[in-house]
Parts: sequence; C-alpha cells; structure tokens
Amino acid sequence: MYRYDEFDAQLVAERTRQFRGQVERRLAGRLSEAEFRPLRLMNGLYLQLHAYMLRVAVPYGTLNSEQFRMLAHLAEKYDRGYGHITTRQNMQFNWPKLPDVPDMLDNLASVQMHAIQTSGNCIRNVTCDPYAGATAEEVEDPRPMAELIRQWSTLHPEFSFLPRKFKIAVTAAEKDRALIKAHDIGIQIILNEDGDVGYKIYVGGGLGRTPIIGQVLREFLSKGELLAYLTAALRVYNRYGRRDNKYKARIKILVQETGIESFREQVEAEYATIDVSDISVSDAERDRISSYFAPPEFEALANEPKALTDALDANRAFSLWAKNNVAAHKAPGYAIVNISLKPKDLAPGDITATQMRAVSDMADKFSFGELRSTHQQNLVLPHVKQADLPVLFEELEAAGLAADNINLITDIICCPGMDFCALATARSIPISQAIAERFADPERQRTIGEMQIKISGCINACGHHHVGHIGILGLEKAGVEFYQVKLGGDASEHAEIGKVTGPGFSQEELIDGIENMVDLYLKQREAGERFLDTYRRIGIAPFKEVLYA
Amino acid sequence: MSTLKHKGKGPQSMTANELRDGFSVWLDENLDWTRDFSKALRTEDQDLIDRMHLRAETDEKSNLVVGIYFIDIEPDTGLPARYREKFRVNGPSYDTADLLETN
Ligand code: SF4
Repeated sequence: MYRYDEFDAQLVAERTRQFRGQVERRLAGRLSEAEFRPLRLMNGLYLQLHAYMLRVAVPYGTLNSEQFRMLAHLAEKYDRGYGHITTRQNMQFNWPKLPDVPDMLDNLASVQMHAIQTSGNCIRNVTCDPYAGATAEEVEDPRPMAELIRQWSTLHPEFSFLPRKFKIAVTAAEKDRALIKAHDIGIQIILNEDGDVGYKIYVGGGLGRTPIIGQVLREFLSKGELLAYLTAALRVYNRYGRRDNKYKARIKILVQETGIESFREQVEAEYATIDVSDISVSDAERDRISSYFAPPEFEALANEPKALTDALDANRAFSLWAKNNVAAHKAPGYAIVNISLKPKDLAPGDITATQMRAVSDMADKFSFGELRSTHQQNLVLPHVKQADLPVLFEELEAAGLAADNINLITDIICCPGMDFCALATARSIPISQAIAERFADPERQRTIGEMQIKISGCINACGHHHVGHIGILGLEKAGVEFYQVKLGGDASEHAEIGKVTGPGFSQEELIDGIENMVDLYLKQREAGERFLDTYRRIGIAPFKEVLYA
Repeated sequence: MSTLKHKGKGPQSMTANELRDGFSVWLDENLDWTRDFSKALRTEDQDLIDRMHLRAETDEKSNLVVGIYFIDIEPDTGLPARYREKFRVNGPSYDTADLLETN
C-alpha cells in the first residue's frame, strides 16, 4: 500500500492544523458561517438534515487494517458507533460534532488518511476496481496510476475551482467494476497492438439529473502522457465549462454541447501546447509509486485445497456463501472475498465499529492486512488463501457479516436519502429494507440470480439508479413520497442508462410492482438469462404491464 | 427539494442548526432554542414573528446557531407543512445507531 512521503505527511498535517484554527475561530465568532462554510467543505464536513456529516476519503477504495481500526475508533469515540460506505468508496460519519472534527482529522492523519477534496468543485477521490492487484483479469494493478492522479490532483492550484466537481474512475480490466463510463473521466488500462501498456480515456459520463454514458476521448494514450493529457482535458473544461448554471456545469454537458469530435480537437490542440516532460513523472518515480503496490508474497499453492473442498461438501451455508461471494484470484490457491454490507437489518453500506474491528482482524489474519471498499457499498478482502475460507466464513458469521447475497436482488445500492441527506426529496433506506424483506428467502434470491437494484433519494443520483437493472428514484409531491422506476440500466462495461417506466408509486405499490416484474422475468427467462437479459430480449412493455397491473 | 415551497403565511416556526453540535433546533416560547419540536413556538402573531426573527439573527451573529429560517406550520396538525421539515422534526426514520442502542 502507498505510504505518504514526507511531502504528503506535511501537507495533511498542515491542513489539519489550519482547520483546527479555523474551527476555533468559528466557535469564537471570529469567522462567520459564510466564511467558514467553504473551509469546512474543503475538509469534508457537511451540515446535513439533522447534524454535521464528515466524509473521509478512501483513495481508490484501498485500506489497511490499521486505517480501518482507526475508522472504528472514530465511529465509537466521535460518532454513534457506525460508519457508512458511499458509492464513491469513501466513509461517512453521520453525527460528528464541530469541536471534535479537528481531533478526528488528527486521528486520521496519524494513519495517513484525511477528508480533503471530498467536497467542492475540485478533482475528487479517484475510485478504482476493488479487485485491483488481485484479479487475473487486469492488465496491471491500476492503483499506482490512481495514486499518481491523487498526488497530481491534490490541491492542484489550477484545478481547485473548476466549474463543478470532477470525478475520475480507473480500472485495468475489461470487466468494469468501477463504473468508468459514468465518470467525468474514466480510464481503462489496456494493451495496444504492440503489447504496450497504456490508457483508453473516456470523457463526459455522469449520472445526476442528466445521465450520460461517457464517450471515448482517446483510444490509446501512452503511459508517460497521462498527466499532461489530463491537464489538457481539464484545461478545456475549466475554460469552457459553464459557470452560469450549476446544472449545466459538469463536463458531460460541455462534451454534449460541443460534440465529442470538437471537444477532442480542443483537447488535442491544448495538449499540443503542453511540454509533456514538464508534467509527466519519470520512470523512476513511477516505479517508486508502483513499488508500494507490489503484490504480497503469495505462497506457492494449488487451487481447491482439501480444507476447502471438504468444507464445501460438509457445510451448505459455507458452500452457498463461497459460491456467491468469492471470486477468482490471480494467484493459485488464493481467492478474493466479498463481504456483503447488505444484511437484512442494516442500511446498505453501514458497518458498526465492532464489525470494522472484526474485519480489520480478519484482514490481518487472512489478507495481508489489506481490504477494499466498493462502489456497491460492500467490502473486499483481496488476498485470502482458499484453505482459510472456511475459518474466515466462521468469523464473518460471528461478526454478522456472512450475508451471501453479493450481486443478488438484496445487494442493493442505496444512498442515505431523506433519513440523513439535506438534498433529498424522499427516503431511500426504507425502500431497500422493504425489498430486502420481501425477497428475504435466500433460495428465492438465488433463483432470481444476478440483479442490481439501485436507489437514490433525489435526482442527484448518488444511489446510481440510472444504471440499476431496476433503478428507483425517490420523489415527493405535496408532502407525499413516491418512487419512479427505471428499467434496463447497466453499470458494467456495457453501461447503459435505464428507461423510465412512467408515473411513480407509493412504497407499497412499488414493492408489489417489483415482485410482479421479478415473477414475469422468472416465467419468461430463457436458459442462463439474468433479469437484464430477459428485459433486453422482450423489451419494456411486458414489464410495464405487470408493474402497473 | 420539496415541491411545497415556503409560503410565509399562516403559523410559523423558526428553525436552525446548533453551531457546535449541528443538531436541528427550533425557537420555543421563551425564544430559547430547543431540540424538541413539540416545544417549538408556532404562531401567526406578527409581533412575535418579528421578535423570533430578531432573536434568531442575533443568535446567528453570536454563533449559537447557523442557517436560520422560518417554516410553515399546518394549522390543524401543528406539524411543519413541508415534507422535509416534517423529517427534521422526527430525526431519521432509520439509523443504525438505534439498532446498536437496543442491542
Ligand atoms: S441522491 Fe440525493 S438524497 Fe441521495 S445522497 Fe445524493 S444528494 Fe442525497
């Protein structure tokens, strides 16, 4: 994992010290709220519907056990005993108090974490494939590149006041687990025909009130060009992005209004003016960063050891969990373990301090001290010996973290909605809980197979509803919540925006409608089809019919 | 945001958030801030409304509270008219912290 260098450590320490002074001046009345608000937002501190909320950055979703223990400590000491994993792989605390926040930031700094650039019109936390460094599907580990972007974008003087926030996601696998086409810029590490490693750059994707799938800006960019090319793209955006209307200020609108061809020409023209060697980092520096992400020392092991196969035969609960939550690892004898944060009785993405500590211990024992957060609001232990899976499963069960529903109908992405968020139009957590209850039967969930339900509590779409196989948007009219449904969205490498079915529903009607659609799918599906495949084959009409029945 | 906009007509309450702790508060009959909405002053009396406004502005300037604003109150229920404000009164309908407390 990346360790801060002296410069990073100094920068974060300096920033925390500054913020402590700002909080003190605010509390003493020497700073007005108008003066203080932008300062607290720059440090990830929001004022939400009921209280302050602190958003802690988890760069590219990678954490070590020491950091996760620290998050547990913050949850317990300064919050109400839990944290919430967001769809940008960060962690939010819902109940911090202003005078405590500088101490929280000091604590975070002690484990090389912070809350910088988790708000504001800057380049936000870079998100990443949670299987990075563990999957055989990748060209190379995308995290050194993500780390390079983090260093380059942190407090970047030219890009700290962009027309609007800017989100970058990276992956190195064809199978997209980072939703790169729904980001301002998405980067895929690829090999060109000559076998050189480089980058395919997507631009102008985004969800929110105007959902757009990103388009290819550059088919292939060689490694040394990355930062210079990103600089060119950001400069064009900074220059022409609309500052007159915040709803039209994201790069996706600029790309749409300019047209991808002209936008590309502008970026290339800007790029031609840049001296690449001025911005790019040396191979030695790139190697230095990469060395922090060197794979752990995997033992020479064989796949499917006896300890695993015996347990698979003997323990049905374990075998169901392993089948659904465990993914193939690049090293023989190892596995990638997904830990579901979607048990029936917790809000999606919530994890208690006790559970955080338990997961930290498991990471130490079974996964070289490493863990990941995912944009699907779950956790990953990236490097677990297959022979250890049965014991790990027991520990997960003891911690209440053994839900075997990854990618199933109850593995719902859900934003905080009206229960916490100041921008919400309706609640989202109760909807996810009602769905989890209706489809509680695990056998039924498995019969339904892969299904992605995503719920947002307002048009800002933090719950990714536009790309859910079933997407749900909470709205409100004349004091009553109602829910609009979208069908056919796709968050994978075949990214697609779902289609609105029509008028919205009350919560009860909605859950019945979803069940009707699921039943229709089960009747109509052909061999091997997921809900999404059947929807694509038979179209929206039959689903609408049963949804509005 | 809610489709019901603030009308400024009928009974009003004054709300804000505490600067230190961030919690939602309302002005009560003594023009003190309370975290308990049931104690909130709800009035149509213009003189009182003016005093509430003055008090809130003063307290905002003295850094007790932030983000002061009036909310419409439904005359028949005594509850806030806007859906969002109804929510602020009750707190989250779901909070993992409550689950922890009951265990
Ligand atoms: S989608 Fe809306 S309600 Fe949900 S977290 Fe984002 S801003 Fe808040």
